Amino acid sequence: MKCRPQYVKECKCPEEVMSCIRETLGESLLEMELRERLDGMPRRVLYRDLWVRLKREGFLKLVDRLREIDFLHFHVMSGNDDGDVVTLNLHCSLFREAGAGHRLGLTLSVPIPKEDLVFPSLNERIPGTEYSEREMREMLGIHFEGLPNTDLLFLPENWDEEIKPWRRDETGPAPENIRELS
Amino acid sequence: MSAGSHKTYRIPIGPVHVGLKEPVTTWLDVDGERIVKATVRPGSIHRGIEWMARERNPIQVIYLAERICGICSFTHIVAFLRAVEDAAKIEVPIRAQYIRSLVLELERIHSHILWAGVACYTFGYDSAFNLGMLLREKVMDVLEALTGNRVNYGVGTVGGVRRDLTPKAAKAVREMIEFYRREFQAFLDVVTEDPIAKARMRNVGVLSAEDAVRYCALGPTARGSGLRVDLRYSSPYEAYGDLGVTPLVPQDYNGEVFGDVYDRFFVRVMEVVQSLDLLEKIVDGIPEGPITWEPKLPKVLAALKAADGIGWGIIEGPRGDDTHIVKLTRGEENVTWWKVRAPTYSNAVSWPLMFKDQEIADAPLIINSIDPCISCMERVLVSDGRIGRSEIVTKAQLIEKCREKTRKVMGA
Repeated sequence: MKCRPQYVKECKCPEEVMSCIRETLGESLLEMELRERLDGMPRRVLYRDLWVRLKREGFLKLVDRLREIDFLHFHVMSGNDDGDVVTLNLHCSLFREAGAGHRLGLTLSVPIPKEDLVFPSLNERIPGTEYSEREMREMLGIHFEGLPNTDLLFLPENWDEEIKPWRRDETGPAPENIRELS
Repeated sequence: MSAGSHKTYRIPIGPVHVGLKEPVTTWLDVDGERIVKATVRPGSIHRGIEWMARERNPIQVIYLAERICGICSFTHIVAFLRAVEDAAKIEVPIRAQYIRSLVLELERIHSHILWAGVACYTFGYDSAFNLGMLLREKVMDVLEALTGNRVNYGVGTVGGVRRDLTPKAAKAVREMIEFYRREFQAFLDVVTEDPIAKARMRNVGVLSAEDAVRYCALGPTARGSGLRVDLRYSSPYEAYGDLGVTPLVPQDYNGEVFGDVYDRFFVRVMEVVQSLDLLEKIVDGIPEGPITWEPKLPKVLAALKAADGIGWGIIEGPRGDDTHIVKLTRGEENVTWWKVRAPTYSNAVSWPLMFKDQEIADAPLIINSIDPCISCMERVLVSDGRIGRSEIVTKAQLIEKCREKTRKVMGA
């Protein structure tokens, strides 16, 4: 899906974005929360984050829909081994250039089952995601479909790729792999 | 290094050494002197800090976060603290928010002056480098007067700050503002008006606005490409909502934007002037009141142990937005997981675009232009496409090449 690489100059209100997400995801939406923070004097809301938890099936559809609103600015991915699933969080922004106090932080949180640890790569849509996808691949063992470069990023060249440093199960570092410094 | 040379250098300096920040390997494929492809390989100094945090409580992690970077240490802890405060729903007193903004701007000034000086040094303008280092001392003195330390200030804590702005420290900040308004103009003139400096930086390492968007460029790197992006403007945090920050872009001053090293340079030096205005507003407008949400540490720790959820903190550091994400679990003292994304992580993705069709002599300047560390240059592998050969060149050799080009431009 092609999207012009430029930011919109006018924002939509968070409620409008939320209803768009609800409509696009349907049953793939698991949870949604808008967080607003009070800063400055007088106390007012100029900082907003939207947290969306969704099923993997709806992910690409949602990204493409959001990219019609604004070129989704990607910050980073975070993730954790949550038992049966690995949760992947994509931290992004909408309305980055749309005026004072109008940016909307957006976290897309997707649980991925461990027996099928596959996720669609965004590399073609947003090339800036490359490092994060490579990092999540080497640290948590997520396979990104369509990621052209799967070389190690932060781990050393001679790293045993069977060991996934951020996993908490048998694929994570064993006690003998850990050198305590203190 | 050029085609036809058969001498191979392999000098192992680094990867861990006494440089300023993290080293990174860059593979440049060159055709003679021209770079045709660049591949970046970070990881030489990946310390596993995020993993270490799993065995520490959030208060202990503050001091870990502060040691991620020696230049923007306060930026990292404010991003981390905002993530923790987001997860635990803690509100920071207004005076503490002003003090955080104050230290963040002082840090931006010292980071930008340091960067500008080092960029001048890279292409052989040593007198500007020395002037930059001389000027930077003033802000370092003020940071020391304010916090007791020149780096790693130890000022931030969950729910506020640990040092108040005393009348004496406020006076030192005001004196510093006057000093820079008087003295910084000379530096600004010599580095932006000098024809040789301009010739060495103009049209070098270009990053178009479209590529800056696609590759998610941040901070002065994005603003140097003409994007009006600045979290102090688009998502004002701490006291910035009261200060009225507008993103500083080259087209507003020079009428046009090139997206080159000069524009990135220009943005940074002008942001020093912008930070002085912000500091003045902070010192003039700082309200009275408490500086912490809860001064008793055991109570803070108990509240953090009771918190449950993921928090996200994102602020505009000197190099771009710094992102921290933290997960706290109810009943657990330690951080469950923590993700840090320093701005260079994003800006380095666009390096290969900036290198394309540039000369090797410009490589140090291009690498430097996103404001990583010049120590990155210690391990650059140059491979010549025409003769299918690779060699490792050192930082010293590259710097000499960069300076040689300046001498040629000067006609010496």
